[in-house]
This record gives sequence, C-alpha cells and structure tokens, in this order.
Amino acid sequence: MVAFGGLSAAALKLPMFGIDAIQACADGGIAKDVSSSERDLIISNWTGYIDPRKNKNGTLAQFEDETGISVTYNVDVNDNAEFYAKVRNQMRACEPIDRDMIILTDWMAARMIGLDWIQPLDKKKVPNLHANLIESLQGKAWDPDLVYHAPWQSGLTGIAYNADLVDEVGSFEELISRDDLKGKITLLSEMNDTMGFFLKVVGADPGDFSDTEWENALDRLKQVKDDGHLRQFAGNNYLQQLSQGVLVACEAWSGDVIQAQYDNPNLKFVAPEEGLALWSDNMMVPNYATHQTNAEAWIDYYYRPEVAAKLAAWVNYICPVQGAQEAMLEIDPSLAENTLIFPDSDMLSNTWDFMSLDDEQQQKYEGEWADVISS
Amino acid sequence: MADTDRRKGLTAYLLMAPAVLVLALFFVIPFYSLVAASLYEPGGSDKEGWEMTYHVGNYVDAVQDYWEPLWHAIAYSAAATLICLVLGYVLAYAIAFKSGRWKSLLLVLVIAPFFTSFLVRTLSWQLILADDGWIVDTFQFLHLLGDDGRLLGTHFAVVMGLAYNFLPFMVLPLFASIDKIDHRLIEASGDLYSNPVVGFFKVTWPLSLPGVVSGTLLTFIPAAGDYINAELLGSTETNVIGNVIQLQATDAGHPNTAAALSMILMVGILVMVLVYIRKAGTEELL
Amino acid sequence: MSSPAETTDDPAKAAPASRSSYDGLRLSALSKSYGSFHAVQSLDLDVPKGSFFALLGPSGCGKTTTLRMVAGLETPTSGTITLAGQDITATKPYRRPVNTVFQNYALFPHLDIYENVAFGLRRRKVGGVDAKVKEMLELVELEAQARKKPAQLSGGQQQRVALARALINEPEVLLLDEPLGALDLKLRRSMQIEIKRIQVEVGLTFIHVTHDQEEAMTMADTVAVMNAGVIEQMGSPGELYENPRSTFVANFLGQSNLIEGTVTSTAGDVVTVDMHGIQVSVPAARAHTDGGKGWIGIRPEKVLIGAAGTELDAPGNTVPGGVVTDVSFIGVSTQYLVKMPWGQELQVFAQNTGRDRIFRVGDPVELSWRPEYAFLLDHSQDVNAGAEEAV
Repeated sequence: MVAFGGLSAAALKLPMFGIDAIQACADGGIAKDVSSSERDLIISNWTGYIDPRKNKNGTLAQFEDETGISVTYNVDVNDNAEFYAKVRNQMRACEPIDRDMIILTDWMAARMIGLDWIQPLDKKKVPNLHANLIESLQGKAWDPDLVYHAPWQSGLTGIAYNADLVDEVGSFEELISRDDLKGKITLLSEMNDTMGFFLKVVGADPGDFSDTEWENALDRLKQVKDDGHLRQFAGNNYLQQLSQGVLVACEAWSGDVIQAQYDNPNLKFVAPEEGLALWSDNMMVPNYATHQTNAEAWIDYYYRPEVAAKLAAWVNYICPVQGAQEAMLEIDPSLAENTLIFPDSDMLSNTWDFMSLDDEQQQKYEGEWADVISS
Repeated sequence: MADTDRRKGLTAYLLMAPAVLVLALFFVIPFYSLVAASLYEPGGSDKEGWEMTYHVGNYVDAVQDYWEPLWHAIAYSAAATLICLVLGYVLAYAIAFKSGRWKSLLLVLVIAPFFTSFLVRTLSWQLILADDGWIVDTFQFLHLLGDDGRLLGTHFAVVMGLAYNFLPFMVLPLFASIDKIDHRLIEASGDLYSNPVVGFFKVTWPLSLPGVVSGTLLTFIPAAGDYINAELLGSTETNVIGNVIQLQATDAGHPNTAAALSMILMVGILVMVLVYIRKAGTEELL
Repeated sequence: MSSPAETTDDPAKAAPASRSSYDGLRLSALSKSYGSFHAVQSLDLDVPKGSFFALLGPSGCGKTTTLRMVAGLETPTSGTITLAGQDITATKPYRRPVNTVFQNYALFPHLDIYENVAFGLRRRKVGGVDAKVKEMLELVELEAQARKKPAQLSGGQQQRVALARALINEPEVLLLDEPLGALDLKLRRSMQIEIKRIQVEVGLTFIHVTHDQEEAMTMADTVAVMNAGVIEQMGSPGELYENPRSTFVANFLGQSNLIEGTVTSTAGDVVTVDMHGIQVSVPAARAHTDGGKGWIGIRPEKVLIGAAGTELDAPGNTVPGGVVTDVSFIGVSTQYLVKMPWGQELQVFAQNTGRDRIFRVGDPVELSWRPEYAFLLDHSQDVNAGAEEAV
C-alpha cells in the first residue's frame, strides 16, 4: 500500500462490504532502525509491572543511565483483546503503531506472531535471553527458538481462598462443586486459564485436546454456571472482593495473590491437585518499530540475573531468568525461597501450557467460550 | 434579485455543511459499516477476512443465543428508569418548588456524583451492597433477606446501580420542566376545586410531561446499553446485551454477532421510544 | 381610616345585618402581615350578594392580597371571612364557592378551551358538562374556538376563556384580579362593557381588583378605594368622585384643585372658609375636617373662568386676580392653568360651548365655582397623596 499524505490507501478504503484477509506487509514490516541516532525506546506494558520508575536505583533508571537510551514507558495494556483491537487497524494496514515494544500474554503473542505483525530479534544482540531463560518457558510451540518473543514475567494460575472464611480449597474440582463456596467464587475471564482447568477436570490435557474434550469441558463450565455456583467471571478486582469477604475463593493469578497478601495475610494461594497453568507475558517488537536495537538492549538488560531479581522483588510474579534466585538472596532472602516467584521443580513439573492455537482455532474457541460466559 | 437569492441559498448550504459533515463522519459512515458488519458471513476471522454476504442469519442466531441478556438489558433499564422517575420526580419537584435559595446548591449536588468516575462510583456500590455490609445486615435483621441472602450479584443490585448512576439524567430534565411551570396554574387548579393530589395529576404532571419524556429517554436509552453495572454489581446470571456485544466484538472476535446485536438493540430501542412518545402524546417535542 | 359604616347611603353599608344571616361576603378585621410589612390592616368590608364591587388602589395597596385571602390562596394573619353566613376563613381554596379570574388568566396550556372551561365542573363531578360548557362558550362568544389551545387565542379571547372557566362554576363570588391589565386600551374598553354585561346577565357577585380608576368607575356598582392596606373610602362611583373624603381619593380618582384655607365659621349646613383672604363656603356635608385648617377642593371642570371684572353666572365663590399661564385646546374643552395671587396654579377645564372666548396666556381672569361643588378635606393629609399613583 502506498502511504499518501499520512492517510494510507487502506484507511481510505472504507469497510463497505467486508474486510479483506490480512496480507503480509510487502516490505516485511521492517522500518529503518534509527537506534544509533535516536536513543529512544517506546514501550507499552501492563500496570504495576515494573519497579518504581522514578527511583534512581530502579531498573529502568539504571538502564537509561547505562545505555543513554531514553525510555517512554506507557502503561496502556489493560487487556490483551482490547490492546489487539486498538492496534489492529494500523497493523493490518502496514502502518507503524509508534511503539518499539509491546508486552502481551502467550496466546495473544502467538496470534500476533502468526499474523506476521512481529519483528524477529537479533539473536546476537540478546545473548542473556538465550543463556538465562528458565527451562519451563523454553520451547513454546508458537516460537520455539525465541525468535520473536522474550518473556517479561511469568505467572501461575491457581486457586486463592480466604482462610478466614473457608477451609482450604485443594482442587479445582472442589472450587467448582463445594457447597460452602456456592455463589461466592469467581473464575478468571481469560479463556486459556479457566478452560485449562475445566479440561483437566474432564480428564483432558490442556496442552493437547480434541474438539470433543473441549466440548465436554465447556459443558461442565456451563453446568457450573447454570447451578449458580459462580458469582462472576473476573479479570481484575477479584482479590479485593476476596479480601472483603464478598468472595471466599477464586481462580487467581499468583502475583496478584502475593501482592494482596501484604494487606491481608489470610489470603492463600493453592496449587490445585489438577496442577497449575504456567503462562507468560512477552516482550515483542512490532512491525515498523524504529528502535529495534534499543529494544534488544532492553531485553538483554532485563535478562541479567541481578536486574531480574530486582524486578521480581517488586512485581512478585515468576521470574523468567535463571540465576535471579541467587541474586535475590542479596535483596530479600524470604522472596528467594518463595515458590511463587522462583518455583521449584516439583511445582514446575505440575504445570501445563495451553495448547497452541492457530488463528481460526483461537477464534472458534474464544467464540464458544464467550457464548457460555455471556449468555 | 436572482443573484441575492442564489447567494442566500449558498449561505444556507454553507451553514449546514458542518452539521452534514459531522453527521456523515460520526453517524452515517459508522452506521453503514455496522450494518455491513452485521451481514458478514460467519466463520470469518481477522486473518482470513470477513465477507459481506447479506447473511441475515446473524440476526436470527444472535436473538436465539442472546435473547436472555437482551431481555435483561431492557428489563433492568426499564426498572431503573421507573425508580429514577419516582425518586427523580420527588427530588426535582422539591428543588423546583420548595428549595428557595438552596436551589442552585441542590442542583449542583445532584450533578456532583458526575465529578467522580463512573467506575469508581459503581465500585463503591460493591462495598455498600457487600454480603457483610450494613444494608445486607439490616435487610437480614428485618427478615427481608434470608440469613444467607445477598444483594450483590442479584438483579436488584444491578437495577439499583443503574438507578443510582442515571438519576441525574432524570432529575435535570424533570427539574427544567417543573421549574418552568407557572405557579398560578397550580393556584388556578386549586381555585377550580382540585385538591392538591388531583391538581398534581391534572395540571403539574401533564405540564411536566416534556421533562418526564426526555428524562425517561435520557435514562432508559443509555441504561439499556450499559454493561458496567451488570458486570460490577451483577453475577453470571445478570449478563446484559452490552456485556455480550463487548465480548463478541473483542475477545470472541465475532464482529458479525456484535454488529447484529448492536443493530437489534438500536432498532429495538428506537421502536420502543417511538411507541412511547406516541403514547405520551408529545410528538411535538421531537 | 374611613370605615365602611360611615358611608351610609350605600346599600353595601346599610347597618350590618346579624353576622349569621348576611348573605353576601363579609370581611371582619382582616389583616395580613409579611413579617413587619402589613399588607392589609384590619379590614372590614361587606360585599352584598349580586353586586359588582371594585377594589381600587395603586399597586402595593393590599387589594390583591385581600382578593387572594378571599380566594383562599393566602391565609389571613387575623380576622375572619364569611360568605353567605359561613365562616370560610380556614376553608381550603378548593372547597370555597369562590372562583378567580387570574391576572394573566392562568389558562391551562395543555388543555383546549373546552377542557379549560369544563375543568371546575369535572373536578366537582357535576353532570351535564357538555351543555353547560357550550352555553358558557356561547356567553363569551367563543364557541368556534372550543378545540383550540389557549396559546392559539388572542389576549382578549384568553381573557374571556378565563372568565368563562370561572363563571361556569356559578360561584357565590367571582374574583377578578386585574383581569384587563394585559389588554390594550381599545380592547380593554370593550371588555369592560362585556364583563359588565355578563355580570348583569348571570347576576353573580363580582369583586374586581384594579388600579385603573376609570375601569372601576365604569364597571362597578360600588368602589372601595384602598391605600396602604386600608380602605380610604367606599361608595358608588359618582359619590366617590363628587364627594371625596381624603386628599388621596380626591387626587387618585380624577383631578382636584386643593387650596389651603382656614375654617372661620360653621353656620347651619354651611362652613365658611378663609381662602387666602377670600371667604368661600362649603356645604357642611362635604366638609371632612374638624375645624381649623383644611384643603378646599374643587374639580377643574367645576371651575368657571371669565375675564377680570366680568360677572360670572355662578352664584357662589368668586376668586379674582388670576393670570392664565397655560392653555391647552383639546377640542371639546380647553384646559387652563391659572396662576392665583397666592402663587398656586389652579386647573380649569372649560367646555367649548362657543359662548365664551378662549383666553390666552397672560390674560387676567377671574375664577368662580358653585359652593355645592366644593369639598373640604383635613389639612393633616398630604396634599399630593394619590396624585402620582393615579394612572
């Protein structure tokens, strides 16, 4: 497509009768890398996902000092689907989205990589990534060789409950069936998290399941919902309600629980008998980013164990960097032993990774999932 | 002569141009694209694209699958509108006729909640209606609620949230309408043998009808499309059409379903509004 | 100040019948105060059944407040209101057999003319609404407008609707609060006649509040002149005009020449007054002062004018030494201003009968009037009272 006075031909072509299939950009989505002349880097990340930026000894300030790169750090990712919707039109029109790095969850990362919207990383420029990524996050089907992505933080999906109000909830099966929990639990509104557990509950493998197994799992979800066992499908704010006692238990992300525990020690995180979902949020360089080299410098920097430890001490999610646990001993020994930040092999052996879906599958499953949770 | 006439015509067109342009940009084009999207062949995807095949079946499927949230949206909104009307009328009447020099201050107080975010206001209702909150405790004490009864996550909570959030939309037009009523008309009705109650229904109420109509419309229409209250104060049993449209448009990636549902909601509301205005006998308002 | 009982020649003030049997409207010691402001002060008033009664006074004199108390729209601070022997002081407005024609008509804008007129009947659930409304619309000549909304009618038509809406209820008393105030002069004249005609036709008691003395005199049988919360004087229009009892009435109702004088003697039914050295006489019945100083009043059209030294055919008070200072020729009459030796300018209206020549400015003249036209007012009153308020 030819850019014309700021308006591309694609933008002028109104969606009158349909939307064309996405075409790979003719130039491969590559923009001229101006990293060496413009020492800038523009990042989009989720809220509360970095140590205080204003702190002079913080990881970001240190990065800027060390490299001379000035970082514009936007906190504008609230939701994978929402962010996707926000950049979709520019991406499909082969226009820059004015960001050098975006951080999205696996399934969305996989989808964007599948749509050819992500630029490959230069392996030589991110040696720390290849040397230090923890084993459990290696070899993802959608990007086995870490060509396109680098995990920023990782996390576990399990169960949280309020020990003040109910006995331990040891399994997902219990969570969705125990009478004393009825009407006082929430499940996460992210399909991969919740359906992973339901697949487990119906005896399927979330990492490799058939359509029939999917249907079974979905039926089970429907039944639980129709029984009035659920309060809501939640994406945020659920731990506040758990702490207030509006909820007594819920499906939860590990990092949220650790942060909430500072305020309410009665909140407990459980690795359910069915296992845990292991996911990650991943740094990627989108098409037409103009500071690829700076972005790679950033990735490599955060894959230094001592930097990763500093970050993990703040955000409390699973640190994807090997060696950070040792570095953490110097910062906060108690955190170094926290298996929700540095999971041990026992724990990791009991995790799964949701089956990698192509775009059509993703859309089909998301659609069916949406039907159940919204009807 | 002809020349000035022509110039006059030209001026009129020039003056209308911005309005036409804005309407075209912000209404006609999006509307056109919405209609087109609602007729996409199902089974498309972002990657493969969407083809407009006049697939009217989208509408049938949408209604079949989502009649319940659709019904919820209308019912909640209607209930909230009714509550707003009763509360808002009393409030607007008191401010217009009885507040004297406090009038402006009270009006500001009515709008005051708008100074905080919609989300924050609704979240605070989560606390107010919480299972161990004082309202639930009081209701349980009065045996209006069973011991394990609750408010949060019920139809009631959603309706109350809507009523709370949209009350100012009701009060302001009502106030404007009631405030305009000539006091002497109310005196005249008393002079002509109407006791205060009859006088209200024969004079004050009919004269405030323009405010009632615009207030109920301003409340009902946005409340029917609102999904924040249902999401924050409701449960999985209280989904409204807005929740579905949002989910279908983003996560589920079914623009056709989302568009069809939007069209159904829009046409549905339009039909209801027209019937309502006709019943209320206030066509001249439009 | 003047209590109604003083004017004995009016039926309205005939010795009050016993309280319970009086069939008209009676206000007794009625007062209304707003904080320290006394809008109406201890008012006593009897309005006989079937009369056309006018409450006349400048704005702020308390006439509208009085009317509203009768209608029940204001609660009296003290005093009582009785109607046909019933005490209605505390009766709710919607229970009083009283209807009002409001100042700006207060027609219900959402109802058509027919429904406006039918309003009172429907509220009282009276039968035969249709026939009565038709009859009433016929009376006010608005049959053709029955299905129009008030806003589609002219001011005069709206006025007639307001009248019909009140009249249809056949109230004991119909109150009219400045009913013609919003109309232009020409329309006002014709409406005055119209309302008077209707009153005669239906025979109900009308109480008409107005600030327009001409209107009050044209329409009413009895006029009560109100000022500052009290009734100054009450009587038939002619009586009020011919024999005013206060400077306010003398000035507010038409124009008067008021000349300072000192009572020198009272002999029989004649009071003699020294007016700047000239002895003038006033009938005792028209002297409203207790002796000493007073204001001699004479209406300008009662003053005769003649060239100095001529014999005027008025066998009465003659005042020489005047000089014409202003002449306005009006057609039917000529209005003169004549400067008197003591410096005061008197007004003289002379009919243009053609018998006398028209004087010019500077002409020396003599004035004269018949003693029976003169009146004498209390000197303690403000000589200009009511002059400014008069329309």
